[in-house]
Amino acid sequence: MTEPTPVISIRGIGKQFNAVRALNNVSFDVLPGELHAVMGENGAGKSTLMKILSGVYSEYDGELLLRGNPVRFQSTRDAEDAGVSIIHQELNLVEQLTVAANIFLGREIKRAVGILNQAAMDKKSADLLAQLESNISPRALVSSLRVGDQQLVEIAKAISLEAEILIMDEPTSALTESEVARLYGVIARLRKRGVTILYISHKMDEVFRLADRITVLRDGQFVQTVDRAEATPRSIAHLMVGRDLEPARRRENSSDSNVVLETKALSLVWPGHPRGWRLKDVSFQLKRGEILGFAGLMGAGRTELLECLFGASHVQPQGRLLVHGRKVQFSHPAEAMKAGIAMVTEDRKRLGLFSQMTVRENMTLCSLMSCSTAGVLSRLSELTATNKQIQALAIKSSGPEAPITSLSGGNQQKCIIGRCMLTKPSILLLDDPTRGVDIGAKAELYQLMEQLAAEGVAIVVTSSELPELLTVSDRILVLCEGVITGEFTREEATEQRIMEAATQQPHFT
Amino acid sequence: MSPHQPSLFFRLWSTVEFKLILAWLSVVVVTVLLDPGHTYWNNPGNAAELIIRNSVLLGFFALGSAVIIISGGIDLSSGSVIAMSATVFGSLLIALDPTGFREGHIATWAVIVAFLGTLLSGAMVGTLHAWLITCVGLPPFIATLATLVGLRSFSRGVTLAVTNNKSQIDFPDLVLRDSLKDVTSVSVVFLVLAFALWFLMSRTVIGRHLHAMGGNEQAARLSGIRTDRLKWLAYVIGSVSASMVGIVYFADTGSAKPDILARGYELNAIAASVIGGCSLQGGIGTIPGTILGCLFLRTVIDSVNKIVGSGADVYEGMIVGIVVVMAVTFSQRTGLAKAQKFFATPIGWACIPVLGLLTGISFLLFFRDKPWFSSLHAIAFGAIVACILVVRGIMEHRVKRA
Repeated sequence: MTEPTPVISIRGIGKQFNAVRALNNVSFDVLPGELHAVMGENGAGKSTLMKILSGVYSEYDGELLLRGNPVRFQSTRDAEDAGVSIIHQELNLVEQLTVAANIFLGREIKRAVGILNQAAMDKKSADLLAQLESNISPRALVSSLRVGDQQLVEIAKAISLEAEILIMDEPTSALTESEVARLYGVIARLRKRGVTILYISHKMDEVFRLADRITVLRDGQFVQTVDRAEATPRSIAHLMVGRDLEPARRRENSSDSNVVLETKALSLVWPGHPRGWRLKDVSFQLKRGEILGFAGLMGAGRTELLECLFGASHVQPQGRLLVHGRKVQFSHPAEAMKAGIAMVTEDRKRLGLFSQMTVRENMTLCSLMSCSTAGVLSRLSELTATNKQIQALAIKSSGPEAPITSLSGGNQQKCIIGRCMLTKPSILLLDDPTRGVDIGAKAELYQLMEQLAAEGVAIVVTSSELPELLTVSDRILVLCEGVITGEFTREEATEQRIMEAATQQPHFT
Repeated sequence: MSPHQPSLFFRLWSTVEFKLILAWLSVVVVTVLLDPGHTYWNNPGNAAELIIRNSVLLGFFALGSAVIIISGGIDLSSGSVIAMSATVFGSLLIALDPTGFREGHIATWAVIVAFLGTLLSGAMVGTLHAWLITCVGLPPFIATLATLVGLRSFSRGVTLAVTNNKSQIDFPDLVLRDSLKDVTSVSVVFLVLAFALWFLMSRTVIGRHLHAMGGNEQAARLSGIRTDRLKWLAYVIGSVSASMVGIVYFADTGSAKPDILARGYELNAIAASVIGGCSLQGGIGTIPGTILGCLFLRTVIDSVNKIVGSGADVYEGMIVGIVVVMAVTFSQRTGLAKAQKFFATPIGWACIPVLGLLTGISFLLFFRDKPWFSSLHAIAFGAIVACILVVRGIMEHRVKRA
């Protein structure tokens, strides 16, 4: 029997960004109809390769064969015409337009003489979203949606193209468990239709559940393509990092009895929404050296809660907030920072990064007062502080003066964590800190959190991945529709029990 | 040191400032060669003084505009603020020392109080802008559009009231006027302001915060930066620098006519900032770049004046427009590695006759009084330009095919 012609042949592809070599002589084949997973650490070059395949980058070395014919896409439109479409890791939606308008952007359904057929687009969008078992309204503005819902819109858009080759770049990084299950259903349906899928993910269980074959990249180089049947998570992890990963250790609970943060009946109203509140009567205590996890589905109020604690909510929360035993009311993040609170935001591109600045400028922004005398900056102390964090967090970059955009997503996230650490916080709020970060870097982030907790920092962390919360948290609180519906110690917590609490309808009398 | 450190020349070459200096030098060389009166060669002192005067006057409010643009805003009102501050300065002189105003010799204390009062009025306009933007929630474009229209009309009203229904305030004191418009002292004040703003923007915490806010306002707020206060500072710097130069314009022109004084100058300020490398998206730009942008812009205008001869001030707007388009196009090109297609698209082909027609008619306008001129020259010139563009388009098309 002969091998089928590969639907995509990657031949010696390389790509250089300024001084950083993102890809170097990568070659492998993708067979028709297979689900081919691409794995690798942050900065391994996965996203870069996918951007070349989908026409985002048109300048590269090497050759690309599509069904045996050499192609060179000049734009994503070229790629789409050839039947290749992509779901990007970073969302690419027009926030000011509706869901339907985004799904059909550039391919609008028209009546005669070019008048938009709004009804047909709404209808089709609703059908596509129904396939994903999502109840997002096609007429909702994308800017009004949470990140998870926006990701579903991206997926719906990619499906609507009816491409033969679909590239998914970490499609589940912002989805909750139930949304992920629905996505698996969609993937199964697509495969039945014969669609070839290139799937990038950091989640081992996901890849082993879905993939036929797995290709591993490391430092921009091709390492190996293996059949799933012949691989184990351990062997893949070995290929990815070039060494064995230590299994996650359960750390000692380092919390003591000092309460550093306490909320009493914290509520946040939601004007114009039938529910009326985003948060209702949230009360909890956070102790020194404790890692407190907040679980909950998308829209449960995790981000809103952290924003309240950080003084970043647009409406003033009601109820009481005590920091180090003193009653506080933050009207601006600057006040929260002065009280020793730091926050890493959920949406890195929109709320965290200063893309026109260097690594140094991004890193020192919150602690400029300690890098200056009488308001005049000292470049030397900025560089010292930056280099210290680059070493402590093992950030991969060409130095403190490298543009922040030349770093991979995980390294950008480390820079933002470094920015928070430079403020020497006693309370650290982490909103889904490992979103879009690979396992090697995740393990480092967990270690970092444990180390900080051991030093006495109190940490509040949210995550869209339950196993992650179970690994790092000393205690887990579960939010559902803005209400705390469960509290578990590390010993009591299981995925099952947390999911039950997260889906339990809160009752009021 | 990383091994990939680019050479010193490459780092210099990649700055906007260096390119502007090269461009400026080439404009000077071209003018020396083509100017029929050989002014730069025969009378360099006078030529330099004129260019410096114009660049410095533009520089004052262009720097203010640059600070606002870097911080992520826009100020459309600077021309009207100039007119207003000239009016305010004149009105204060009348109010403080009416006899001195009539006799043409104003007491020094009155000049100082009027000067400070004018700067204060500028700060008040900046505060108004900041309030409209941060508290009322208007976009900067709308807020400063309102004051662009409003302040000029307000100044005309004030002028009528203080002068018994005349439409202008004449500068009263000749000695004072000469000292206020003296190019050396104005340049020194400008250099002090420029140095202070450069220091503020590139060496202080506030400057870093302004850059950060311009780049990503939400992230800046979440980093604990008081964005509202920073906006106030930026708009006050913008309006105060414009009101400083308003007094100089008052002295320079000899009268404050609020209906025409500095009309449309706000766009020159924005143009100079953009030529100097500021991005209208915010977050990017430098003070030295903006100063060089002013110098370059005024030198090009002066050069066309010299080459074309008298009456060329009519074409100032055309020159500014062309220079802005060219400067931004070239600075964008270095950012994009791939070859850009200017003409090998349907819109590109459609624009070739437009550009040919424009250059032909411009040729006619510029040179119609020369003894050698005939309309055939203009037609031929326009046609040649169009042909060159067609050839360029065909070459781009070939590249696309390959």
